[in-house]
Amino acid sequence: MTSRTYEILNTLEYYVLLALAHKALYGYALKQAVAAESDGAVTPRAGSLYRVLARMMTRGLVHEVEGGAGDEPHPGLDRKYYALTPDGRDTLRAEAGRLRDAAALAEQRLGLVERAP
Amino acid sequence: MRPLLALLLRAYPRAFREEFGAGMLEIMMTDYARARSTGRVRALFYVVATGLDAFAAGLAERLNPTWTAMTPADEGRWQMGRTLEAWARDFMHATRNLLRAPGFTLVTAGTLALAIGANTAIFSVVDAVLLRSLPYADTDRLVSVRGTAPGSDLPDEFGVTDEMFVAYRDNADLLEDAGMYGVVQSTARAEDQVERLFMGRVTAGTFPTLGAMPALGRLPTADDDETVVVLSNWLWNTWFGADPDVLGRAYDIAGTSRTVVGVMRPEFRFPDERVALWINMVIEEGELTPGGFGPSMVARTAPGADHADVAAQLAPLAARLPEQFGSNAIYARIIGQYRPIVRSLREELVGDVEGPLWVLLGTVGIVLLIACANVANLFIVRAESRRQDLAVRKALGADRTGLIRSQMAEALLLAALGGAGGALLALVGVPLLVRAAPEGIPRIETVGLDLTALIFTAGVSVAAACAFGLVPAIRVSNPGPVGGLRQGGGRVGGRPSHWGRDALVVLQTASALVLLVASGLLVQSFWQLSRVDPGFDTDDIFTFQIAPTGEDLNSGVAYGRFHNQFMDRLRALPGVESVGLVQELPLDEGAGATFMQTERILASGADEPLIRYTFVGGDYFETMGIDVLSGRRFDHTDEDPGVTHAMVGRAAADLLWPGEDAIGQRLRPAGAEESGLWWSVVGVVEDVYLEDFRQREPEALVYLPLIGPGYGVGSPAYVVKTARADLIAPEIRALVREVDPNSPMYRIFTMQGLADRSMAQLSFTMLTLAVASGLALILGAVGLYGVLSYVVSQRTREIGVRMALGAQARQVRRMVVAQGGRVTLLGVVVGVLAALGITRVLETMLFGVGAVDPFTFVAMSGLMLVVALLASYIPARRASSVDPMRSLRTE
Repeated sequence: MTSRTYEILNTLEYYVLLALAHKALYGYALKQAVAAESDGAVTPRAGSLYRVLARMMTRGLVHEVEGGAGDEPHPGLDRKYYALTPDGRDTLRAEAGRLRDAAALAEQRLGLVERAP
Repeated sequence: MRPLLALLLRAYPRAFREEFGAGMLEIMMTDYARARSTGRVRALFYVVATGLDAFAAGLAERLNPTWTAMTPADEGRWQMGRTLEAWARDFMHATRNLLRAPGFTLVTAGTLALAIGANTAIFSVVDAVLLRSLPYADTDRLVSVRGTAPGSDLPDEFGVTDEMFVAYRDNADLLEDAGMYGVVQSTARAEDQVERLFMGRVTAGTFPTLGAMPALGRLPTADDDETVVVLSNWLWNTWFGADPDVLGRAYDIAGTSRTVVGVMRPEFRFPDERVALWINMVIEEGELTPGGFGPSMVARTAPGADHADVAAQLAPLAARLPEQFGSNAIYARIIGQYRPIVRSLREELVGDVEGPLWVLLGTVGIVLLIACANVANLFIVRAESRRQDLAVRKALGADRTGLIRSQMAEALLLAALGGAGGALLALVGVPLLVRAAPEGIPRIETVGLDLTALIFTAGVSVAAACAFGLVPAIRVSNPGPVGGLRQGGGRVGGRPSHWGRDALVVLQTASALVLLVASGLLVQSFWQLSRVDPGFDTDDIFTFQIAPTGEDLNSGVAYGRFHNQFMDRLRALPGVESVGLVQELPLDEGAGATFMQTERILASGADEPLIRYTFVGGDYFETMGIDVLSGRRFDHTDEDPGVTHAMVGRAAADLLWPGEDAIGQRLRPAGAEESGLWWSVVGVVEDVYLEDFRQREPEALVYLPLIGPGYGVGSPAYVVKTARADLIAPEIRALVREVDPNSPMYRIFTMQGLADRSMAQLSFTMLTLAVASGLALILGAVGLYGVLSYVVSQRTREIGVRMALGAQARQVRRMVVAQGGRVTLLGVVVGVLAALGITRVLETMLFGVGAVDPFTFVAMSGLMLVVALLASYIPARRASSVDPMRSLRTE
């Protein structure tokens, strides 16, 4: 893998990628997954959620996929399903690594981890 | 709440909204529903918060777009993608809908296929014959030069003479190049082939005028004599196996040994496709003798010169000819009346068939119009039944474009099916059409279903889809928010508005009537023509020509002996009743013409009339059934170089000796004064039509015997009366082979065949129009039936109420029939008015009936009304059998 720099994601972006890393989701399911996986800390409204989605699609991190056919809860509103692109997956992996490093640093500073002898 | 929430989406830019609107709306509606379930306040709070979010996010999106951050080109592509996607979706939907209604689909696509197929087939003929440019260079500058001399005995139009051609070619500076040509039929012998071929006789200038180049060898030049010949590509292929060594070889062509100097390219045909080779024609410019109108002239005009300018330049050149050539009186008289006619070569070559072909294209165009009206009708009815569905979709936010698009998808799909079916029909039909087409349509052999025809089919299909789909689609896409959703719409009393469908019925009735009137006029012309008595029989007569060869055939007497002996052999064949011969056969070649004088004309100094003449032998008059009016027929004693007897037709007798008995009178050709010979009339016979049945009156015709002073007949047409006229050809061929193996038999016809041929163009046009108008009548009737059936089904309740209140079945029937009658009557009026204008284009094809013949107009209008009433009667019966109780429960 060639090394490249990944931009830092904001919280909502992170949770959106996180949710889509599990499986392809449509808008409302995505919103619910974000809320659940952030323990209710992140509950985006429609506009914010979709703007994030749009930006990630423009950057090529997320794309629209053929969704599961079937239920159309509101007539005339077809559901679109979104999934991670390989770039999106890489970006999420880089962000997770960055967060892990940041978390490790924080724990070290707070004295939660013993110093190496 | 959905509309309000949907309104919030307006805060976002359009592209963003279109891409994500549905998803956002789903979230908003689901969250709203959840909030609502916990109370009104929460719901209100939710709406306000969501509104603020939408406002903020929308503003942010507009200021700092995440989604519209595309280049305008991307944007355009994206938009187009969206549109295509929508169309694709609508087409899928339409496919499902049509599959669900197989009856409707079959009927409409079938109707369209028939109409589109007919249009494609006729168009492919029109394209090949009329529209494609001639296979010559710069065809728009090629003209044909002919002339007319009103008031003279010459035909309405005729060709040029040698000296006129030379004068035009050398002195008219608006003509850059010119050639003179004619077509003859003569015998060609090469290798082991002997055949009668059509041969062009062309001056050397003809090829450069046409811009033609040879495929092989060279073209004739001004230095060549008449022993030089150029082959057509097809003759080179079929006779000589495309052997290049044919150049320089000499063959016996038209009685002379001629050398092949070149082979033309495959596409070169001139003046028509029958011509197999071109003999170099030489004009002896040093020793021109005036007169001899006949050959055709082709010329290339200077750039920008129009036909009137050229004609104006030629007229004075022609007027000077008599003084140049030491005028004789007849020539000077004709030139005095002469006016040149300059028209495009294209018009000259295809002029005769142009009118009928456009008429046919117009006819099938009208059939297509009627078919479209029918399909439109079915479409409206079908769309009406989905009005509620459409109203719901509209209320749910589908925009009007989307509704029209989904309707048009169905129309386009049907038209595509019809177009494909039509192309298939044309594929099968074009070869049949070409085979059924009358002789003499130029370039008919190039007719085929090609790319141009397919593009035309596609265009017609799309146009048809717009014609039958767009109006219903627009109508239905605008159902009005209340009317569409209101249940049923079963109006009692108030007549539902169906002017659109009524208008379609009027259009159909009118169009069908135009076709009916046109075909009625043609049928009448055909009938009138077939009743014309041409003066001779056409039944049971077989005819053919041979051109005997042999060294002993060195005089008129020798030829005469040959023919008489051969006629004896023919008479001996089983089933042959009588045999005769004639120099030129009526309806085929006509007859020669010459200026004749009588003692009375000479004495009075009157103009010598132009009179047709021909030579006959054997039992010609008995065989052809031409009645003798007075005197006697020729017999063997007349066939003698020392005897000068003649027979005349009634018209010639009346013209030359008005009010007198023609028997014993004398006549002679102008210019034969020196011989001192006069021909004396021994018999008068009934007139015959020489050219075709359309002649206003028969020509004046003089008959001379087979053998006479200083002449004989080389290759006449034999006429054989036998009940086996259709079958006797092989026996006669065997006889010819026995008598003279080197002479091909040619111009083999039956007189009935010639009669049919002279009516072929009319019968072809008539048949096509009759089929088309029959089709139109049926389609029109089906259209009316469909509308009335629908109206009855809509008014079932009203009719039930009427019957419950005591209306009789008869009254109900009358009411429905009257409704159909009113619409049809309007259609008939419109149709009659249209036909009055349109049938004029048929004028040249009509015979014995005027273009505005009242009988035809009345009869066809009557037919249309009767058919319409029949079509109304079935729905009327259904209406009158309505059970009042049931009908009141239907809705």
